[in-house]
Amino acid sequence: MLVNAYSKRVFNLAYQFAGSYQEAEDLTQDIFLKLYGALKKYDFEKNFTAWLLTLAKNHLIDTYRKTKWEKAHRDEFDEQFAAPGSAQGPESGLIQEADRKLVWEGLNRLAPETRIAVILRDIQDKNYEEVAEILDLPLGTVKSRINRGRLQLATILKDRKEDAHDL
Amino acid sequence: MTCERIEGLLSAFLEGELSQTDKAFVESHLAVCPDCTALLSVLSRTQKALAGLPELHLSPGLMARLASIPERKRKFSLTFDLVLKPALQPVFAAASIFLTLLSFYLFNPDRKNIDRAIDQKIHTGYSQVEKLYATAGSYTDRLGETADNVYVSVKNWKVFGGNDDEPNKL
Repeated sequence: MLVNAYSKRVFNLAYQFAGSYQEAEDLTQDIFLKLYGALKKYDFEKNFTAWLLTLAKNHLIDTYRKTKWEKAHRDEFDEQFAAPGSAQGPESGLIQEADRKLVWEGLNRLAPETRIAVILRDIQDKNYEEVAEILDLPLGTVKSRINRGRLQLATILKDRKEDAHDL
Repeated sequence: MTCERIEGLLSAFLEGELSQTDKAFVESHLAVCPDCTALLSVLSRTQKALAGLPELHLSPGLMARLASIPERKRKFSLTFDLVLKPALQPVFAAASIFLTLLSFYLFNPDRKNIDRAIDQKIHTGYSQVEKLYATAGSYTDRLGETADNVYVSVKNWKVFGGNDDEPNKL
């Protein structure tokens, strides 16, 4: 069943992109509604997961563009851990947690196209070829976009740490 | 300029995707540039932090809503199919034309003049119908008279026991 197989992946993509649990639920529902409507158009020679994630990515970016003024805030990082069913990351410790909190908030500073590329590569652990297929972009463009996104996040991390040291 | 170029290569450097030449170039720059070295360190932490973001499970409510989508979609599709039946299309077309004309009438700023024109047309039509009715009445009378004359003439023929010798003479 499609829902069992793909809902978690789509929901997490929506959550990491939008940053709000409630909004991610609505987005996931919309994406699955679109999916059932678009199944007739699916070309069986294509990779289904990539096709589904492309559909999800298009919906996320379209929705972002329509309502971006409402996307100024992400859920608090602590709330995210407290959310039902959240799983602890592989690393523990205060520094790592502080870094995670900063990059989580920093994701909102990235342009939607860059954000989705970074999420697919670094959070969802897709390889560059898969990301290029999902985003329908040349491999070189994807690599430079991801590098740019990481550098932006790294700069945020660096600046916040320097601010913390200055205090 | 070199630092900018190095920045573009740092991700690939961390992931071990650089050619030997580029790798050597980055390493030699890092050896003399504390800023880029610091950036590399933060970049590495950024990647680790991203990879460590937790994956969430769906709420049972959302799972139930997602599972019910195919059924809802099927019901909606049935309703929609009914609406799109070819047999109903002339009805929808007529309804659309009617509604367009109605909205044109209802929202027209010059509605009073339209009312007056319609009123006039109705009166003209009514009087024309009356005239036609009167004309039709006079034709009916004349037809009745002619029919009576024909009846009397035919009755007078000898064949039917009358006095008239000439059947052709009416």
